[in-house]
Amino acid sequence: MLRLHVLWSLLAVGLMIAPVQAADSVAPQITVGTQEIGLSAGYMLPHQLTTDHTTKQQGVAFMPSWMMTVSDPIGDSWYRGQVSLGAEVVYIQFQEPFLTHGVGFTPKIKYTFVAHDRIRPYAEFAGGPFWTDLAGKIPEESSEFNFILTAGFGCSYFFTPQLAMTVGYRFHHISNAGTQYPNLGLNASLPFGGFSFYF
Amino acid sequence: MAQTTSSQIMTVFVLIGAVATGCTRSIEVLPSADSGAEPATTTIATTERVPLILDQVKISQNGAPQNPSTELDRRLLGSLQSLNLFSHLSLAETSPLVTDEKAIVAHLTIDDAVDSHPGEAAWKGVVIGTSMFLLAPVMELHYDYGTHLTLELERWDGTVKTYHAESSGIASYNLFSASPSMITELKGHVLETGITDLMNQLVKDTAFCNASSAPMTERTIHTVSVKAKRRTPQAVSVSTADPSQSR
Repeated sequence: MLRLHVLWSLLAVGLMIAPVQAADSVAPQITVGTQEIGLSAGYMLPHQLTTDHTTKQQGVAFMPSWMMTVSDPIGDSWYRGQVSLGAEVVYIQFQEPFLTHGVGFTPKIKYTFVAHDRIRPYAEFAGGPFWTDLAGKIPEESSEFNFILTAGFGCSYFFTPQLAMTVGYRFHHISNAGTQYPNLGLNASLPFGGFSFYF
Repeated sequence: MAQTTSSQIMTVFVLIGAVATGCTRSIEVLPSADSGAEPATTTIATTERVPLILDQVKISQNGAPQNPSTELDRRLLGSLQSLNLFSHLSLAETSPLVTDEKAIVAHLTIDDAVDSHPGEAAWKGVVIGTSMFLLAPVMELHYDYGTHLTLELERWDGTVKTYHAESSGIASYNLFSASPSMITELKGHVLETGITDLMNQLVKDTAFCNASSAPMTERTIHTVSVKAKRRTPQAVSVSTADPSQSR
Protein backbone atom coordinates (compact mmCIF):
# COMPACT_ATOMS: atom_id res chain seq x y z
CA MET A 1 0.00 0.00 0.00
CA LEU A 2 2.79 2.36 0.97
CA ARG A 3 4.72 1.71 -2.24
CA LEU A 4 1.64 2.46 -4.30
CA HIS A 5 1.31 5.73 -2.43
CA VAL A 6 4.94 6.59 -3.13
CA LEU A 7 4.73 5.82 -6.84
CA TRP A 8 1.47 7.73 -7.28
CA SER A 9 2.89 10.70 -5.37
CA LEU A 10 6.01 10.78 -7.57
CA LEU A 11 3.92 10.53 -10.72
CA ALA A 12 1.58 13.29 -9.55
CA VAL A 13 4.49 15.60 -8.67
CA GLY A 14 6.09 14.97 -12.05
CA LEU A 15 2.93 15.71 -13.98
CA MET A 16 2.31 18.87 -11.99
CA ILE A 17 5.74 20.32 -12.65
CA ALA A 18 5.98 19.24 -16.30
CA PRO A 19 4.92 22.16 -18.53
CA VAL A 20 2.08 21.64 -20.99
CA GLN A 21 4.23 22.62 -23.96
CA ALA A 22 6.74 19.91 -23.10
CA ALA A 23 5.74 17.85 -26.10
CA ASP A 24 7.16 20.49 -28.47
CA SER A 25 10.44 21.03 -26.66
CA VAL A 26 13.73 19.88 -28.09
CA ALA A 27 16.05 17.17 -26.83
CA PRO A 28 18.15 18.05 -23.77
CA GLN A 29 21.53 19.66 -24.34
CA ILE A 30 23.58 18.10 -21.59
CA THR A 31 27.21 19.23 -21.66
CA VAL A 32 30.21 19.09 -19.36
CA GLY A 33 29.26 20.77 -16.10
CA THR A 34 25.54 20.05 -16.35
CA GLN A 35 24.29 18.95 -12.94
CA GLU A 36 21.47 16.58 -12.15
CA ILE A 37 19.44 16.34 -8.99
CA GLY A 38 17.20 13.35 -8.71
CA LEU A 39 14.81 11.59 -6.39
CA SER A 40 13.95 7.96 -6.92
CA ALA A 41 11.88 5.50 -4.96
CA GLY A 42 11.41 1.78 -5.25
CA TYR A 43 10.69 -1.43 -3.46
CA MET A 44 13.42 -3.82 -2.46
CA LEU A 45 12.80 -7.52 -3.10
CA PRO A 46 15.08 -10.21 -1.60
CA HIS A 47 17.27 -12.78 -3.34
CA GLN A 48 18.37 -15.82 -1.37
CA LEU A 49 21.39 -16.84 -3.39
CA THR A 50 22.42 -19.76 -1.17
CA THR A 51 20.65 -22.14 1.18
CA ASP A 52 22.26 -20.30 4.11
CA HIS A 53 20.32 -17.18 3.21
CA THR A 54 16.99 -17.35 5.01
CA THR A 55 16.01 -13.71 5.56
CA LYS A 56 13.44 -12.27 3.20
CA GLN A 57 14.25 -8.61 3.74
CA GLN A 58 12.11 -6.18 1.80
CA GLY A 59 10.91 -2.62 2.02
CA VAL A 60 10.70 0.77 0.38
CA ALA A 61 13.79 2.66 -0.68
CA PHE A 62 14.31 6.38 -1.30
CA MET A 63 17.33 7.64 -3.19
CA PRO A 64 18.02 11.38 -3.53
CA SER A 65 21.05 11.90 -5.77
CA TRP A 66 23.36 14.47 -7.31
CA MET A 67 25.39 14.00 -10.49
CA MET A 68 27.83 16.08 -12.51
CA THR A 69 28.35 15.46 -16.23
CA VAL A 70 32.08 15.26 -16.94
CA SER A 71 32.23 14.42 -20.63
CA ASP A 72 30.64 15.46 -23.87
CA PRO A 73 28.97 12.70 -25.88
CA ILE A 74 31.52 10.17 -27.13
CA GLY A 75 31.17 7.65 -29.93
CA ASP A 76 29.18 7.74 -33.14
CA SER A 77 27.05 4.65 -32.90
CA TRP A 78 24.34 3.29 -30.61
CA TYR A 79 26.76 3.43 -27.66
CA ARG A 80 27.23 7.20 -28.00
CA GLY A 81 27.06 8.54 -24.45
CA GLN A 82 28.30 10.65 -21.60
CA VAL A 83 29.97 9.97 -18.25
CA SER A 84 28.58 11.46 -15.03
CA LEU A 85 29.96 11.36 -11.51
CA GLY A 86 28.06 12.00 -8.32
CA ALA A 87 26.70 10.65 -5.11
CA GLU A 88 23.52 9.26 -3.70
CA VAL A 89 21.96 8.82 -0.30
CA VAL A 90 20.02 5.61 -0.01
CA TYR A 91 17.43 5.11 2.69
CA ILE A 92 15.72 1.75 3.05
CA GLN A 93 12.87 1.06 5.40
CA PHE A 94 12.93 -2.71 5.88
CA GLN A 95 9.38 -3.85 6.51
CA GLU A 96 10.23 -7.55 6.59
CA PRO A 97 11.32 -9.50 8.60
CA PHE A 98 11.40 -6.62 11.12
CA LEU A 99 10.56 -2.96 10.81
CA THR A 100 14.11 -1.59 10.69
CA HIS A 101 16.02 1.08 8.78
CA GLY A 102 19.13 1.49 6.71
CA VAL A 103 20.97 4.60 5.49
CA GLY A 104 23.92 4.75 3.14
CA PHE A 105 26.03 7.20 1.17
CA THR A 106 27.30 6.02 -2.19
CA PRO A 107 29.51 7.76 -4.71
CA LYS A 108 28.18 6.89 -8.13
CA ILE A 109 29.29 6.71 -11.76
CA LYS A 110 26.85 6.65 -14.64
CA TYR A 111 27.10 6.20 -18.40
CA THR A 112 24.13 7.64 -20.28
CA PHE A 113 23.41 6.63 -23.86
CA VAL A 114 22.45 9.72 -25.85
CA ALA A 115 21.83 8.28 -29.30
CA HIS A 116 18.08 8.80 -28.85
CA ASP A 117 16.83 12.30 -28.27
CA ARG A 118 14.48 12.19 -25.32
CA ILE A 119 14.79 8.58 -24.31
CA ARG A 120 18.13 8.03 -22.65
CA PRO A 121 19.03 4.61 -21.26
CA TYR A 122 21.89 4.44 -18.78
CA ALA A 123 24.01 2.07 -16.74
CA GLU A 124 25.21 2.95 -13.25
CA PHE A 125 27.42 1.69 -10.49
CA ALA A 126 27.60 2.90 -6.90
CA GLY A 127 29.05 1.81 -3.61
CA GLY A 128 29.62 3.13 -0.13
CA PRO A 129 29.07 2.75 3.60
CA PHE A 130 25.67 1.64 4.83
CA TRP A 131 24.30 1.55 8.34
CA THR A 132 21.35 -0.64 9.28
CA ASP A 133 19.79 -1.87 12.50
CA LEU A 134 18.49 -4.92 10.66
CA ALA A 135 21.91 -6.50 11.12
CA GLY A 136 22.21 -8.41 14.37
CA LYS A 137 18.58 -9.46 14.15
CA ILE A 138 19.13 -11.78 11.21
CA PRO A 139 21.55 -14.69 10.68
CA GLU A 140 23.24 -13.22 7.59
CA GLU A 141 24.67 -10.03 9.05
CA SER A 142 26.08 -9.26 12.47
CA SER A 143 27.33 -5.67 12.41
CA GLU A 144 25.33 -2.49 11.97
CA PHE A 145 28.10 -0.92 9.89
CA ASN A 146 28.09 -2.37 6.38
CA PHE A 147 28.80 -1.49 2.79
CA ILE A 148 26.30 -1.35 -0.03
CA LEU A 149 27.19 -2.06 -3.64
CA THR A 150 24.76 -1.25 -6.42
CA ALA A 151 24.79 -1.95 -10.14
CA GLY A 152 21.90 -1.33 -12.44
CA PHE A 153 20.40 0.23 -15.48
CA GLY A 154 17.52 2.51 -16.25
CA CYS A 155 15.95 4.80 -18.76
CA SER A 156 15.17 8.51 -18.58
CA TYR A 157 12.42 10.17 -20.57
CA PHE A 158 12.79 13.94 -20.88
CA PHE A 159 9.55 15.91 -20.59
CA THR A 160 11.58 19.09 -21.11
CA PRO A 161 15.35 19.69 -21.53
CA GLN A 162 15.48 20.09 -17.75
CA LEU A 163 13.07 17.49 -16.43
CA ALA A 164 13.14 13.74 -16.89
CA MET A 165 11.24 10.77 -15.55
CA THR A 166 13.33 7.73 -14.77
CA VAL A 167 12.58 4.06 -14.32
CA GLY A 168 15.14 1.36 -13.72
CA TYR A 169 16.41 -1.70 -11.98
CA ARG A 170 19.25 -2.21 -9.52
CA PHE A 171 20.88 -5.12 -7.87
CA HIS A 172 21.88 -4.42 -4.26
CA HIS A 173 24.44 -6.23 -2.17
CA ILE A 174 24.89 -5.38 1.50
CA SER A 175 27.72 -6.85 3.59
CA ASN A 176 30.39 -5.68 6.03
CA ALA A 177 33.52 -6.64 4.03
CA GLY A 178 34.47 -9.28 6.60
CA THR A 179 34.88 -6.86 9.49
CA GLN A 180 32.64 -9.06 11.66
CA TYR A 181 31.12 -12.52 11.30
CA PRO A 182 28.68 -13.86 10.22
CA ASN A 183 28.83 -11.93 6.99
CA LEU A 184 26.83 -13.79 4.40
CA GLY A 185 25.51 -10.61 2.85
CA LEU A 186 22.07 -9.52 1.79
CA ASN A 187 21.16 -9.43 -1.87
CA ALA A 188 18.13 -7.80 -3.38
CA SER A 189 16.55 -6.42 -6.52
CA LEU A 190 15.29 -2.87 -6.52
CA PRO A 191 12.96 -1.75 -9.30
CA PHE A 192 12.53 1.99 -8.99
CA GLY A 193 11.10 5.13 -10.54
CA GLY A 194 11.74 8.81 -10.05
CA PHE A 195 12.43 12.23 -11.48
CA SER A 196 15.57 14.18 -12.30
CA PHE A 197 16.14 17.88 -12.77
CA TYR A 198 19.05 19.12 -14.91
CA PHE A 199 20.67 22.53 -14.62
CA MET B 1 40.98 23.12 26.41
CA ALA B 2 43.10 25.61 24.45
CA GLN B 3 44.66 22.76 22.51
CA THR B 4 41.19 21.44 21.59
CA THR B 5 40.12 24.89 20.38
CA SER B 6 43.22 25.35 18.25
CA SER B 7 42.81 21.89 16.71
CA GLN B 8 39.19 22.71 15.90
CA ILE B 9 40.26 25.96 14.24
CA MET B 10 42.91 24.04 12.29
CA THR B 11 40.29 21.52 11.18
CA VAL B 12 37.99 24.30 10.00
CA PHE B 13 40.86 25.90 8.03
CA VAL B 14 41.78 22.57 6.47
CA LEU B 15 38.16 21.95 5.48
CA ILE B 16 37.77 25.46 4.03
CA GLY B 17 41.06 25.01 2.16
CA ALA B 18 39.95 21.65 0.80
CA VAL B 19 36.60 23.01 -0.35
CA ALA B 20 38.23 26.09 -1.88
CA THR B 21 40.79 23.92 -3.69
CA GLY B 22 38.04 21.60 -4.82
CA CYS B 23 36.17 24.42 -6.51
CA THR B 24 39.00 25.84 -8.58
CA ARG B 25 39.18 25.96 -12.33
CA SER B 26 41.42 27.58 -14.89
CA ILE B 27 41.39 28.25 -18.60
CA GLU B 28 44.59 28.25 -20.57
CA VAL B 29 44.56 29.45 -24.16
CA LEU B 30 47.57 28.17 -26.04
CA PRO B 31 49.25 30.85 -28.14
CA SER B 32 48.92 30.51 -31.90
CA ALA B 33 51.99 30.64 -34.13
CA ASP B 34 51.42 34.30 -35.00
CA SER B 35 50.34 35.50 -31.58
CA GLY B 36 53.73 37.01 -30.76
CA ALA B 37 53.22 39.74 -33.30
CA GLU B 38 51.63 42.99 -32.24
CA PRO B 39 48.09 43.54 -33.48
CA ALA B 40 48.57 45.08 -36.90
CA THR B 41 46.83 48.33 -37.71
CA THR B 42 46.40 50.09 -40.99
CA THR B 43 44.12 52.56 -42.65
CA ILE B 44 42.45 52.64 -46.01
CA ALA B 45 41.15 55.77 -47.63
CA THR B 46 37.37 55.91 -47.51
CA THR B 47 37.19 56.05 -51.28
CA GLU B 48 39.22 52.86 -51.52
CA ARG B 49 36.91 50.87 -49.30
CA VAL B 50 34.56 48.31 -50.78
CA PRO B 51 31.70 46.44 -49.14
CA LEU B 52 32.23 42.99 -47.69
CA ILE B 53 29.47 40.41 -47.86
CA LEU B 54 29.68 37.45 -45.51
CA ASP B 55 28.26 34.68 -47.62
CA GLN B 56 28.60 31.46 -45.73
CA VAL B 57 29.86 30.25 -42.36
CA LYS B 58 30.38 26.49 -42.19
CA ILE B 59 30.91 24.96 -38.77
CA SER B 60 31.95 21.43 -37.95
CA GLN B 61 32.82 19.76 -34.67
CA ASN B 62 35.13 16.75 -34.70
CA GLY B 63 34.26 16.44 -38.39
CA ALA B 64 30.49 16.51 -37.92
CA PRO B 65 28.65 19.48 -39.49
CA GLN B 66 26.95 21.79 -37.00
CA ASN B 67 24.17 24.33 -37.28
CA PRO B 68 25.41 27.85 -38.13
CA SER B 69 24.72 30.57 -35.59
CA THR B 70 23.76 34.19 -36.14
CA GLU B 71 25.77 35.12 -33.03
CA LEU B 72 28.93 33.88 -34.72
CA ASP B 73 28.08 35.78 -37.92
CA ARG B 74 27.62 38.96 -35.93
CA ARG B 75 30.80 38.38 -33.99
CA LEU B 76 32.82 37.99 -37.16
CA LEU B 77 31.19 41.01 -38.78
CA GLY B 78 31.97 43.01 -35.62
CA SER B 79 35.64 42.02 -35.79
CA LEU B 80 35.81 42.92 -39.49
CA GLN B 81 34.04 46.21 -38.82
CA SER B 82 36.66 47.18 -36.26
CA LEU B 83 39.38 46.92 -38.92
CA ASN B 84 37.92 49.86 -40.88
CA LEU B 85 38.91 48.19 -44.14
CA PHE B 86 35.46 47.97 -45.69
CA SER B 87 32.81 50.52 -46.55
CA HIS B 88 30.11 48.37 -45.00
CA LEU B 89 29.55 44.79 -43.97
CA SER B 90 26.52 42.62 -44.40
CA LEU B 91 25.27 39.09 -44.59
CA ALA B 92 24.55 37.62 -48.01
CA GLU B 93 21.04 36.70 -46.95
CA THR B 94 20.20 40.30 -46.04
CA SER B 95 22.17 42.13 -48.77
CA PRO B 96 22.64 40.05 -51.89
CA LEU B 97 25.60 40.77 -54.13
CA VAL B 98 25.04 43.45 -56.76
CA THR B 99 26.78 42.35 -59.95
CA ASP B 100 28.00 45.76 -61.12
CA GLU B 101 29.44 46.75 -57.74
CA LYS B 102 32.94 46.15 -56.45
CA ALA B 103 32.57 43.96 -53.40
CA ILE B 104 34.36 41.21 -51.55
CA VAL B 105 32.54 38.02 -50.69
CA ALA B 106 33.75 36.16 -47.59
CA HIS B 107 33.34 32.48 -46.74
CA LEU B 108 34.36 31.25 -43.31
CA THR B 109 34.91 27.64 -42.30
CA ILE B 110 35.34 26.69 -38.65
CA ASP B 111 36.59 23.22 -37.77
CA ASP B 112 36.30 22.63 -34.04
CA ALA B 113 38.09 19.82 -32.24
CA VAL B 114 36.69 18.96 -28.83
CA ASP B 115 38.10 16.42 -26.40
CA SER B 116 36.46 16.15 -23.00
CA HIS B 117 38.76 13.24 -21.98
CA PRO B 118 35.93 10.84 -21.07
CA GLY B 119 38.31 7.98 -20.26
CA GLU B 120 40.30 10.16 -17.89
CA ALA B 121 37.06 11.42 -16.32
CA ALA B 122 35.84 7.85 -15.83
CA TRP B 123 38.91 6.49 -14.05
CA LYS B 124 39.37 9.64 -12.02
CA GLY B 125 35.69 9.42 -11.15
CA VAL B 126 36.21 5.92 -9.80
CA VAL B 127 39.19 7.12 -7.74
CA ILE B 128 37.25 10.14 -6.47
CA GLY B 129 34.27 7.98 -5.59
CA THR B 130 36.39 5.33 -3.88
CA SER B 131 37.99 8.04 -1.75
CA MET B 132 34.49 9.30 -0.81
CA PHE B 133 35.29 12.59 -2.63
CA LEU B 134 38.32 13.29 -0.42
CA LEU B 135 40.56 13.27 -3.51
CA ALA B 136 38.21 15.53 -5.50
CA PRO B 137 40.28 18.66 -4.73
CA VAL B 138 43.49 17.15 -6.10
CA MET B 139 42.10 15.23 -9.08
CA GLU B 140 41.94 17.67 -11.97
CA LEU B 141 39.73 17.04 -14.98
CA HIS B 142 40.46 18.53 -18.38
CA TYR B 143 38.56 19.74 -21.41
CA ASP B 144 40.42 20.50 -24.64
CA TYR B 145 39.07 22.73 -27.35
CA GLY B 146 40.79 23.70 -30.57
CA THR B 147 39.59 25.45 -33.67
CA HIS B 148 40.85 25.89 -37.21
CA LEU B 149 39.51 28.93 -39.04
CA THR B 150 39.64 29.33 -42.78
CA LEU B 151 38.59 32.66 -44.24
CA GLU B 152 38.21 32.79 -47.99
CA LEU B 153 37.88 36.23 -49.61
CA GLU B 154 36.66 36.43 -53.18
CA ARG B 155 37.36 39.77 -54.87
CA TRP B 156 35.09 41.31 -57.51
CA ASP B 157 37.49 40.21 -60.26
CA GLY B 158 37.26 36.59 -59.17
CA THR B 159 40.60 36.45 -57.35
CA VAL B 160 40.39 34.31 -54.23
CA LYS B 161 42.64 34.55 -51.19
CA THR B 162 42.56 32.17 -48.26
CA TYR B 163 43.68 32.87 -44.72
CA HIS B 164 44.12 30.25 -42.01
CA ALA B 165 44.30 30.52 -38.24
CA GLU B 166 44.51 27.95 -35.49
CA SER B 167 44.03 28.26 -31.77
CA SER B 168 43.38 25.94 -28.87
CA GLY B 169 42.89 25.94 -25.14
CA ILE B 170 42.47 23.73 -22.09
CA ALA B 171 40.06 24.10 -19.22
CA SER B 172 41.27 22.42 -16.03
CA TYR B 173 38.71 21.98 -13.30
CA ASN B 174 37.80 20.04 -10.21
CA LEU B 175 34.63 17.99 -10.01
CA PHE B 176 32.67 20.53 -7.96
CA SER B 177 33.68 23.52 -10.08
CA ALA B 178 32.50 22.24 -13.46
CA SER B 179 29.83 24.27 -15.20
CA PRO B 180 28.61 24.74 -18.77
CA SER B 181 29.67 28.41 -18.60
CA MET B 182 33.28 27.30 -18.11
CA ILE B 183 33.18 25.54 -21.48
CA THR B 184 31.47 28.54 -23.09
CA GLU B 185 34.22 30.80 -21.73
CA LEU B 186 36.95 28.49 -23.05
CA LYS B 187 35.38 28.37 -26.51
CA GLY B 188 34.92 32.13 -26.47
CA HIS B 189 38.58 32.77 -25.63
CA VAL B 190 39.90 30.27 -28.17
CA LEU B 191 37.65 31.56 -30.95
CA GLU B 192 38.61 35.14 -30.18
CA THR B 193 42.30 34.24 -30.45
CA GLY B 194 41.67 32.61 -33.83
CA ILE B 195 39.60 35.51 -35.16
CA THR B 196 42.22 38.02 -33.98
CA ASP B 197 44.88 36.02 -35.81
CA LEU B 198 42.74 36.06 -38.98
CA MET B 199 42.15 39.80 -38.68
CA ASN B 200 45.88 40.42 -38.28
CA GLN B 201 46.55 38.52 -41.49
CA LEU B 202 43.85 40.51 -43.22
CA VAL B 203 45.28 43.82 -42.07
CA LYS B 204 48.68 42.84 -43.41
CA ASP B 205 47.08 42.21 -46.79
CA THR B 206 45.03 45.36 -47.21
CA ALA B 207 46.17 45.85 -50.80
CA PHE B 208 43.92 42.96 -51.76
CA CYS B 209 40.86 44.81 -50.53
CA ASN B 210 41.53 48.22 -52.11
CA ALA B 211 39.01 49.34 -54.68
CA SER B 212 41.84 50.27 -57.04
CA SER B 213 43.59 46.93 -56.68
CA ALA B 214 41.74 45.43 -59.63
CA PRO B 215 39.43 46.68 -62.35
CA MET B 216 35.78 45.78 -62.31
CA THR B 217 35.19 42.75 -64.44
CA GLU B 218 32.07 40.79 -64.89
CA ARG B 219 31.85 38.04 -62.34
CA THR B 220 31.79 34.59 -63.73
CA ILE B 221 28.52 33.14 -62.69
CA HIS B 222 28.51 29.42 -62.39
CA THR B 223 25.03 28.03 -62.60
CA VAL B 224 24.18 24.57 -61.50
CA SER B 225 20.76 23.28 -62.26
CA VAL B 226 19.41 20.56 -60.09
CA LYS B 227 16.30 18.81 -61.21
CA ALA B 228 14.38 16.11 -59.53
CA LYS B 229 14.54 12.92 -61.46
CA ARG B 230 11.16 12.44 -63.01
CA ARG B 231 9.65 9.08 -63.37
CA THR B 232 9.23 7.95 -66.89
CA PRO B 233 5.51 7.96 -67.46
CA GLN B 234 4.21 4.48 -67.51
CA ALA B 235 2.69 3.47 -70.81
CA VAL B 236 -1.01 3.29 -70.43
CA SER B 237 -2.70 0.92 -72.77
CA VAL B 238 -5.60 2.55 -74.44
CA SER B 239 -7.86 0.57 -76.63
CA THR B 240 -8.96 2.39 -79.68
CA ALA B 241 -11.37 1.34 -82.23
CA ASP B 242 -9.94 0.39 -85.59
CA PRO B 243 -11.04 3.15 -87.99
CA SER B 244 -11.62 0.60 -90.69
CA GLN B 245 -13.98 -1.27 -88.42
CA SER B 246 -15.80 1.81 -87.30
CA ARG B 247 -16.96 2.53 -90.72
